[in-house]
Amino acid sequence: MRNKRMFGFELVRGAAAIAVALGVATIFIFLSSKEPLTALRYLLIGPLVSIKGGVASFNTQGFYNILAAMIPTIFTGLAVCVMFANNQFNLAGEGIVMVGGFVAALAGIYLHMNTGWHAVVCVLIAAVIGGLIMLIPALLKVRLGASEMVTSLMLNYVCMYLVLHFLNYNFADRSKGSTQTYAFADTARIGSLVPGGSKLSWGFVVALVFVVIIALFMYRTRWGYAIRMIGINEAFSKYSGMKVGGTIVLAQVVGGALSGMGGGIEVLGRYTTFLWKELPGYGWTGVTIAILAKNNPLLVPLAAFFIAYLNKGCQLMATYSDVPSEMIDIIQAAIFLFFAAEQFLAGYRQKIVVKNTRADLAKVAANAEGGAE
Amino acid sequence: MWSQLFDTIFKAEFLFSVIRITAPILFAALGAVVAEKAGVTNIGLEGIMMISALFGVLFSYWTQSWLIGVLGAMFIGVLLGLMIGFFALKLKTDIILSGIAVNMLGSGGTIFLLYMFTGMRGNTGALVSPNILIPTVNIPLIKDIPVLGDILSGHAVLTYVAFLLVWLIWILLYKTPLGLNIRAVGENANAASSVGVSVMKIKYIALAISGALAGFGGAFMSMYYSQGWNSGMVAGRGFIALAAQAMGRGEPVGAMFSSLLFGLAQALRTKVSGLQGVSSYLVSSIPYVVTILGLVIYAVSTIKRVKKTRAANPELKA
Repeated sequence: MRNKRMFGFELVRGAAAIAVALGVATIFIFLSSKEPLTALRYLLIGPLVSIKGGVASFNTQGFYNILAAMIPTIFTGLAVCVMFANNQFNLAGEGIVMVGGFVAALAGIYLHMNTGWHAVVCVLIAAVIGGLIMLIPALLKVRLGASEMVTSLMLNYVCMYLVLHFLNYNFADRSKGSTQTYAFADTARIGSLVPGGSKLSWGFVVALVFVVIIALFMYRTRWGYAIRMIGINEAFSKYSGMKVGGTIVLAQVVGGALSGMGGGIEVLGRYTTFLWKELPGYGWTGVTIAILAKNNPLLVPLAAFFIAYLNKGCQLMATYSDVPSEMIDIIQAAIFLFFAAEQFLAGYRQKIVVKNTRADLAKVAANAEGGAE
Repeated sequence: MWSQLFDTIFKAEFLFSVIRITAPILFAALGAVVAEKAGVTNIGLEGIMMISALFGVLFSYWTQSWLIGVLGAMFIGVLLGLMIGFFALKLKTDIILSGIAVNMLGSGGTIFLLYMFTGMRGNTGALVSPNILIPTVNIPLIKDIPVLGDILSGHAVLTYVAFLLVWLIWILLYKTPLGLNIRAVGENANAASSVGVSVMKIKYIALAISGALAGFGGAFMSMYYSQGWNSGMVAGRGFIALAAQAMGRGEPVGAMFSSLLFGLAQALRTKVSGLQGVSSYLVSSIPYVVTILGLVIYAVSTIKRVKKTRAANPELKA
């Protein structure tokens, strides 16, 4: 009974936070747009409903596109879940996604293998490199006590410039107008899950599999248990005999491997060459997703869907009305602030707690009376 | 290539540019110092700089006065600092997440706000005219000294303010009752609270000061450094400032020296990328690599110092 009420409260609070964020978005749309209603319609229902000649119909292609957009952010979301659950504010996922994509692309171009294995090997290489890069902030934290947050933020820029250097000076296809690598071998491509022009690849299925794997890892293995316990109380975990340093490194290496994998799958599934020229932003989106999912891997796909939907809505809104698509950052920031706010609607929670306690006391009193008779 | 490089470095002009490049990092680093002294990590400096940089240009354009632009940027910085405080202290959002949210507002929200206020996208090119930029000043006497005059004189007003603030922030932290409270709250909030200091109030004040300093840094960026606002202009300076704070042992003077180190790295980057046969991308990563190395060196030296103290006083080991 008590848990049910508190669970209900968490739901209400999450919904309220999202409502506040969308409310803020609406206010800004009305302030900035000459056609606010059109803009709102595209933002809120545009991604899934296409309206032609006054008839609304479900937009299947749009649905596939949203699912496709979830692929990299599920991975970065999972990565952030693991690291934040360990209380490690490591933000290097952003840079590692880019490195992972680049490395997977290179493996796709220069290794020659059979269909089936090639793509798997490419993605695994991306994951290994991602994990290795994450050793830098992790070891600096554990061995030297340097803040993983600051080193990881700096690392993002280093990753980006290194990739751009190798892309421009060593691996560029000079026959093309823009800077890009040669095309990957067909064997390295990750195939499409559905027919038609959508970018929804088998990577989506892999992402869902990893949601389950990471959920099992976090809740059914002793490593996952150690990661979560150290995140809750590091001193207690240390005195109860857990290997704190090793676990902190493990959490970040897992995070790095997931981020690298996400970048690799995204590049091999969506493109035919590597052509990113700046950080793709999936790492930061991963942070938002982890916040929405409350660090629970099983909720990551839901959160990723929500963000992908809003993102698509913002793009449509920018295309068909006069509101810039950067609106998404304002919405995300508002969700961030209210969703993660422990004291948001605290008065309401207080009422629930009081109600629960009264109910319990009444029960105890009733039992006592019953016992006396 | 090397001789070319040395030729450019050993010139007054180069050292002048080091000081110019250091100033915005120094503002933000001092902001990080004040916040950290009060026990709050202000990771939102980057976003505060972006947003206040935009409003600096807007305010100065609307009023055609650079001074109002700078003060407006500072005011916006204070508001954002208080906003972080409201969410982190009152609603108990994690302070790091509150900061990241402000950074999101800084990266995308600014583009949106610019469009909302002016209808422009991505940069403020057409708004900026010389009369609304921060003016430069020549210091009498010093400007006539050979070499030194070329290095120290002729900077923007705000550059001198930045270095003056190192001293002022030191005074604030170590010579005023407020500074004592800030340090007490950062050192041990419970102890401070037990002698009647309002921990919340002090943290709000520290965040507001931190925001104001980052606001100055933002104004410097858009109203002097790049002469206008554009969407990628702060480029991690707020994050580098956090590193400068850590490397400077959380002290204003230390933060100034580490900011100068990053200023040097950044100035070197501009010089080297002009040379033949050098990858501009590798050179661009120099300031960030230097930051990581700086943190490592700082951490190693701290550990050594702790070991030395322990070796000297064996009774401390227990």
